[in-house]
Amino acid sequence: MSAKTILVADDETHILHVVSMKLKNAGFNVLTASDGQEALEIALAELPDLLITDYHMPNLSGLELCQRLRQEPSTSNLPAIMLTARGYNLQPEDTQNSGILRMLSKPFSPRQLLTTVNEVLEKLAA
Amino acid sequence: MLRRGIAIFFIVIGLLLTQGLIVLLHGNGGIYLSVAASVGATICSGVVGLVGMARLRGQASTVHRDLREMARTGKLAALRSDDPDLLPLIDGINEITTAAQQVVSRANISVKELEIRLKVAHAERQHAEAILYSISDAVLVTDSFDELVLANESAARTLDFDLAHAMRTPVQSVLHDEKLINLIREMRQSNSRSERRIVEHSVSTSSGGRTYKVTLACVADRNDLTDSRPAGVVAVLHDVTKEKEVAEMKNDFVSNVSHELRTPLASIKAYVEMLIDGEAEDDRTKREFYDVIQNEANRLGRLIDDILNISRIESGLVKVNRQPQSLGVIIREAVEVILPQAKQKNIAVNEGNTPIFYQTPADRDMLYQALLNLLSNAVKYTPEGGRIDVQTEVDETKKTVVVRVVDTGVGIPAKDVPYIFDKFYRAEANNRMAKGTGLGLSLVKQVIETIHGGKVFVESQVGKGSCFGFELKLMD
Repeated sequence: MSAKTILVADDETHILHVVSMKLKNAGFNVLTASDGQEALEIALAELPDLLITDYHMPNLSGLELCQRLRQEPSTSNLPAIMLTARGYNLQPEDTQNSGILRMLSKPFSPRQLLTTVNEVLEKLAA
Repeated sequence: MLRRGIAIFFIVIGLLLTQGLIVLLHGNGGIYLSVAASVGATICSGVVGLVGMARLRGQASTVHRDLREMARTGKLAALRSDDPDLLPLIDGINEITTAAQQVVSRANISVKELEIRLKVAHAERQHAEAILYSISDAVLVTDSFDELVLANESAARTLDFDLAHAMRTPVQSVLHDEKLINLIREMRQSNSRSERRIVEHSVSTSSGGRTYKVTLACVADRNDLTDSRPAGVVAVLHDVTKEKEVAEMKNDFVSNVSHELRTPLASIKAYVEMLIDGEAEDDRTKREFYDVIQNEANRLGRLIDDILNISRIESGLVKVNRQPQSLGVIIREAVEVILPQAKQKNIAVNEGNTPIFYQTPADRDMLYQALLNLLSNAVKYTPEGGRIDVQTEVDETKKTVVVRVVDTGVGIPAKDVPYIFDKFYRAEANNRMAKGTGLGLSLVKQVIETIHGGKVFVESQVGKGSCFGFELKLMD
C-alpha cells in the first residue's frame, strides 16, 4: 500500500512546519499551503487523501476552503480535519456537509493530531 | 328669604359642578389632571357663590336705602310709624346685609387661598414635568383605557410621535410599535401592582436599530385603595445600545486576545512535544526547535505587554510621566534601534534634520515606543532596497510639531485605511508580508491621542508606500 498524501494548510509557518514534520516522520507524503487559496489550488491539482486546515487564514478561510472543495467533483469526498484556535466560533451547522470530520483546537498536541489522522483514514478505509 | 335662597342656589350649583368634575376625572384616572381640575372647579364654585352674594348685597342695600329714604321723607310715617311690623322688617334687612357682607368677605378669603393653592399646584406640576423632561429615558404613562396621559420629549423622539397631539389619545394610535403597545396592554391587564417587569426591546429608527431596557409598572389609584383595577401603566425606556456595543466589543476583544495568545502558545506546545517525543533527529533540527520555542515565547511576552499597555491606557490607570522632552533626541534613539533590522533588508533610513531644541511635554518611554512601532512597521512592510524617511515639521505660530514616517512599502488598500488604528485590525492583503498582532498602531494611537492629546494620521497608496504620522503640542 502506497503512502497516503496529506495536505496541510496554515498561515503560521511554525505550525505548518511542525505538523508536516510529524506526519512525514510517520510515513505520510505531505503537501503544504500557507493560505486558503493556495490550498484550494494544490488540492485540486494533487487530489490528496486528507486535508488538515486552519480556520483563520487570509484570502480563503478554512471553512470556505472545505465548502469549495465539496463543490468540485474531484474533491467532493475529500475528508478534512480542522485545526483552529477559534473552534468556539464554529457551530455544528457550519461544518455540516463541509467534509470536516474532526476538529482539534489550538494549542494542540502533534501526537494527538497523528492519532486523529490515523483514526480518520482507518475509518474511511473500512 | 327669596334672596338668601338665590345665594344658596348659586353656591350649591358651584359645589355640584366641582364634585361632578372630580367624579368625571377620577373615572379617567389622570392624577395630575384630577388635582388641577379639582382646584379649578372649587374656585369656579367660589366665584359662582361670590356672584350670588354680590347680588344679595346689592339688592339688600337698595331695599335698606329705599326704606331709610322713605323714613327720612316721612313717607314711612304715612305707613304709620308706630306700625309694629315695620321695625322687625328693617332689623331683618340689616341682618341680611351684615350676613351677606360676612359671606362675601369669607368668600374673598377663600378665593385668595384657592388662588395660592392653584399656584402651588401649578408650580408642582411644572416641577414634576421639568423633572420628567430632564430624564433622558423615554417615559410614557397611560391610563386604565390605554390612553396616553403623560410622556416626555425623549419618548416622543424615541418612539417618533408628536407630543403636542398625543395626549388623551389611545396608545395604539400614538405608537407605531406593536410590541410596545402589547407590553403596555399586557401590563395593565396583568394587574400586578407591586411587580415591575423589565423587557429588552429593539426599536428600529431612521438612524438604525437601538436596544432599550423597558421597565413597566402599574400605577395604582391612590384615592381608591379598594379598587383593584390599576389606574394605568408607566413605561420607561432606557437606551442600552451603547452598553450592548461595549459588551460586544469586550467579547470581540477577549476572543481576539485569546486567539492571538493561543497562536504562539500552540507553537511552543507543539515543538516541546516534538522534542520530548524525539521527532527532532539531528542537532540542527533540535537547535531550530529551540529557536522557534524561544522566539514564540518572546512573541507571547510582547503580546501580553502590548495588551496590558493598551488596556491600562484605555482605562486611565497608566502612570504618565510627562516632562519636557526633545523630540529630536527620541527620534534619533528610535532610529538607531531600528537600523539593524533595516540594514538586513537593505532599507535606507533617512532621519532628516530634527532640531533637538524643540521640546514637547511628553512621557519619554511611551513616545519612544510609539515612534519605534511606526518605524518597525515601516521596515516590516517595505520590500528589500526600499527607503524610510522621518520628517519633522514645526509650526511656530500654532506651537505644534508634526512627525511623519514615510516609507516606500506595499501600502494599505483604501478599504483598510479607516480601520488601520483599530485594535487587532490587520490589512488582510499584507498579512503575508509580516507577522503582527494588530496592536502596534492601536498602541501608537492611544499613546499620541489619549496620553499626549495629539492626533495620529495616515496616508497610503498601494504599491507606492505609506506615511504614518502624528501632531503634538510644543512647549510654550
